[in-house]
Amino acid sequence: MISEEYRGAQQWSRNKQAAFTVVWISFLTAAVGTMVFFALFDPVDLTGIFDEDLEIDANAGYAVGFFFFWLLCAACSGLTAFLVRTAPKRDAKHREQ
Amino acid sequence: MNEPQSASMYESATKIYPREIGGRFDKLSKLATVTLLGLFYVLPWINWDERQAVLFDLPARKFYILGLTLWPQDFPFLALLLIIAALSLFFFTALAGRLFCGFACPQTVWTEAFIWMEQFTEGTRSQRMKLDNAPWSLTKFRKKASKQFLWITFSMWTGFTFVGYFTAIRQLGLDMIALNVGGWTLFWGIFYGFATYGNAGYMREQVCKYMCPYARFQSAMFDKDTLIISYDEERGELRGGRKRSVDPKEAGLGDCIDCQLCVQVCPTGIDIREGLQYECIACAACIDACDSIMDKMNYPRGLVRYTTEHGLHHETTKVLRPRTLVYATLLLVLVVGLVTAMVTRTPVILDVIRDRNSLYRELPGDIIENIYTIKIINQSNTSRSFALSVSGLDGIRLDGVGDAVTVDGGGVLSLPVRVRVAREDAYGISNIDFAVVATDDDSVAVIEDSRFLGPTP
Repeated sequence: MISEEYRGAQQWSRNKQAAFTVVWISFLTAAVGTMVFFALFDPVDLTGIFDEDLEIDANAGYAVGFFFFWLLCAACSGLTAFLVRTAPKRDAKHREQ
Repeated sequence: MNEPQSASMYESATKIYPREIGGRFDKLSKLATVTLLGLFYVLPWINWDERQAVLFDLPARKFYILGLTLWPQDFPFLALLLIIAALSLFFFTALAGRLFCGFACPQTVWTEAFIWMEQFTEGTRSQRMKLDNAPWSLTKFRKKASKQFLWITFSMWTGFTFVGYFTAIRQLGLDMIALNVGGWTLFWGIFYGFATYGNAGYMREQVCKYMCPYARFQSAMFDKDTLIISYDEERGELRGGRKRSVDPKEAGLGDCIDCQLCVQVCPTGIDIREGLQYECIACAACIDACDSIMDKMNYPRGLVRYTTEHGLHHETTKVLRPRTLVYATLLLVLVVGLVTAMVTRTPVILDVIRDRNSLYRELPGDIIENIYTIKIINQSNTSRSFALSVSGLDGIRLDGVGDAVTVDGGGVLSLPVRVRVAREDAYGISNIDFAVVATDDDSVAVIEDSRFLGPTP
């Protein structure tokens, strides 16, 4: 008989699981995306693409680029998680059969 | 003392208090933690040729790794390196299971360090559980506060070290003392420090259970010859308590005395006796725990041990099998490919950009001219002279460039050049080749193609 106190009783709620998984996986994919993107483009060279007067500092460029990718990837995997989890119950029942 | 529980589909979030256990694998894991963390914290302070040995200088877009300087153009090397890292992980997983998870994963290593600090300030497992259940008092506050102090200081140092891989760490240290650190540098330091604090201090095994993709798909690389940590059910059952003097065979018992120690030491809180579970990170704490009990009982060690499914069923374990051979071959090919590519890489890069503002220019004397911007990147560490030439059309020649141009070590030279061809040889679109050759070494040469536009005939 194993006392529950010792067992891995710690479980995250499904929402917490989904939220943290989305944040973490999008972080990893964003890191890869940022690496590929900035291997091809120097943020300083992007000056003038968005706005003539915008001077892009290298550090800021990398950071903004990374967060842009992170947001994009999080939106993508967040929406996917949301749609999968809120699919009509009927279908879920159907799948089980 | 049973409190009414709110109705929930999930078990309540009980904290796991991994119990400390000494032993062979614990020593190994401590060694791995100290080595890996030591490497992380010390590496940026080591210098190589008057500069930081490992520095990823993003603003300058140059990566320094020991004697090597990598440029954005070397990105394929990095991609190849990442593929090799992934493949090695597959290879070692097929061979040795989750050895990486238990001993080398940053999540495990930092969690280990954070647990040490926890033990140092709050005591052993039972002391920690008692402390958490106790009402707030001055002692509890003191213990909790000193743990937080250690955790936060360590996290901040981690963040500082992380940033030190991207900004010269010695200068960064001086800037910190002078309170003169750039905004983004400060931000990334805090960001990484906070991530360490959250991951290693609080989330711990939950990261492995819910967030790690590798933990979820590693089962695809497992087979019956993969090294796993397993409980020998045949030997252990029936489990049950007994006195040391009792002969288990006579009492009809197996070797497991059901002391629960293997469960208490588990950082992910599983019972290894229930078989291989995806939560198991193969840290081998349960092996140490069980061995210590077996020693006390005078039973042979290895009731919980490293073995394979075949080994457990008294069959021979095959190390050489199609899966490992395929992984090993692929790995070998890629490593040889990478090393060859690195060694034979010419330390000069040529970029040719055709002037987009004009198609071509007609000069007096029936000559057609195209304008290009040439970028010569000298990847070697010393200054070098290069001869630039162009070929591909009859009588093609360069204008506006001397016999040789000099580019500083690690420097980029941007050069506008005019290419001229007689009209009768220049009709339509032609492919031409630019070439640079180092004047001191013919083998340092690179050719880049471009197009020459002329009038329609």
